[in-house]
Amino acid sequence: MSVILPRGEAFVYPGGPVGCLVVHGFTGAPAEMRWFGQQLAKAGYSVVGVRLFAHATRPEDMFRARPQDWVASVEDGYHLLRGLSDHVVVMGLSLGGILSLHFASRRPVRGVVAMSVPYVLMAPWRRRLRPVFPALSKVMPFFDKGAPDWFDPHVADDHLEYPRHPVRAVASLIDVHADMLRRLPLITAPVLMMSSHGDATAPPWHSQTIFDRLTTADKQLLLFERGGHVITRDVERQRVADAAAGFVRRVTGWPKSPAPAGRRR
Amino acid sequence: MTAGIPSPVIQPGAEPFLFRRGRTGCLLVHGFTAAPQEVLRLGAHLGNHGYTALGVRLAGHGTSVHDLSRTRWPDWLASAQDGYDELRGMCDRVVLLGMSMGGLLSVLLAAGQPPAGLVLMSTPITLLRSPLRRWLQPLSLIVPRIPKGPPDWFDPTAAVERVAYPAYPTRAAAEVQGLITRARAALPQVKVPTLVIHSLNDTFVVPANAEILMAELGTSDKRLLLVEGSNHLVTLDAARQTVFDAAHAFVRRVAGPPR
Repeated sequence: MSVILPRGEAFVYPGGPVGCLVVHGFTGAPAEMRWFGQQLAKAGYSVVGVRLFAHATRPEDMFRARPQDWVASVEDGYHLLRGLSDHVVVMGLSLGGILSLHFASRRPVRGVVAMSVPYVLMAPWRRRLRPVFPALSKVMPFFDKGAPDWFDPHVADDHLEYPRHPVRAVASLIDVHADMLRRLPLITAPVLMMSSHGDATAPPWHSQTIFDRLTTADKQLLLFERGGHVITRDVERQRVADAAAGFVRRVTGWPKSPAPAGRRR
Repeated sequence: MTAGIPSPVIQPGAEPFLFRRGRTGCLLVHGFTAAPQEVLRLGAHLGNHGYTALGVRLAGHGTSVHDLSRTRWPDWLASAQDGYDELRGMCDRVVLLGMSMGGLLSVLLAAGQPPAGLVLMSTPITLLRSPLRRWLQPLSLIVPRIPKGPPDWFDPTAAVERVAYPAYPTRAAAEVQGLITRARAALPQVKVPTLVIHSLNDTFVVPANAEILMAELGTSDKRLLLVEGSNHLVTLDAARQTVFDAAHAFVRRVAGPPR
């Protein structure tokens, strides 16, 4: 029997001594990072794409998700990736970006790629209701999602995600997000942030605000004109993946010369 | 509560592991309240013989006992499947090896996506005899944890390395009962070569469980290895080398020499 939704599976692409730990977003699945991971694998890197706790199974499983469960999922991926590579760059989309920054504030990584990371999760009045979310969740278990912001309708068709936001899990999201913001000054690794102007969830000023708060010496912010929230799959996906691979190569110095096409094992 | 995320969340010594070797892989699944450490030496043994070995950490394990209280058996199955999916990204053939409750999860995985072989160690397949069984879930509201029995090691030095919670969360123990029911129902669907390993001295999950596994597994290629001089934890206690050698010989037989 399978409890994980088809195409929702975690993935591994073994490669060279530099590894990329790839983390998907809230209510999403490893599927939204798979093509992105494959591009890094083509560049010669070892890649692990984790499945966050309670994702790609049933939306109700998210009622039981707490911040430490998601942080532990990222730690799991890190330990497995260390079996494939000596150096790790952590990268993620949205919640995955939050968790990547969070992870980098606590562990020695060679770099961080944080994509479509929100600075403000919801209207302040709504966020102030955080303390009642666990109780609210019992009578109103889900919030509706906003309108989709895809630029590329083809990838939108086969996107794998929970259709609504589980209220109890939104409380956990608020908690881990707040903890990440507090920890930003602790990050010393190089950071690349990416965001697109079409992002309805985390428009570029979100990334810009987080970027300004980073105290690491080596930081870069890359903005794309086109594309929605899921920039790893939307119209600018190739430039996003290329930028990530270029960043990994710059901060790790590996490979010394770019890998020939088809290098992936 | 936001400041309450431990760093790291996974206890030192409880991390999942990966030994990358050849294109034949072994998935190692630990038991209830334990951590990948329970199968780490077995994984290292298989790795030393050229097999890729991956030890997953089941959700709620290796962190805090409170996290385990919150998880349900499908969460554990999903964790085990994560390891299976990750291993298949590196290997052409995979053998599943489960310790105790990890055996139940391996049975369910094997029934869904047949591996090259299956090893079930100290795996329980009968429900708790106590009339308490049906009341575990409501009981968990009053008694959140059940203490573990006194240690019964043949090799007390193995206890030093052991990474596990000191008690059983009552709510999660109820989940194990549900998992046993489902795994037992899936036994006839297991059509791959299977090795069942059990200790004659196991007083926690008595050897009669192994007899039932042997009787109800759907495969005709099944063998039973009974070891002596070990408690329930056959991968850790005094008979561990016998278990490692048997597991290695089995992997070699069903999946071939390492490639």
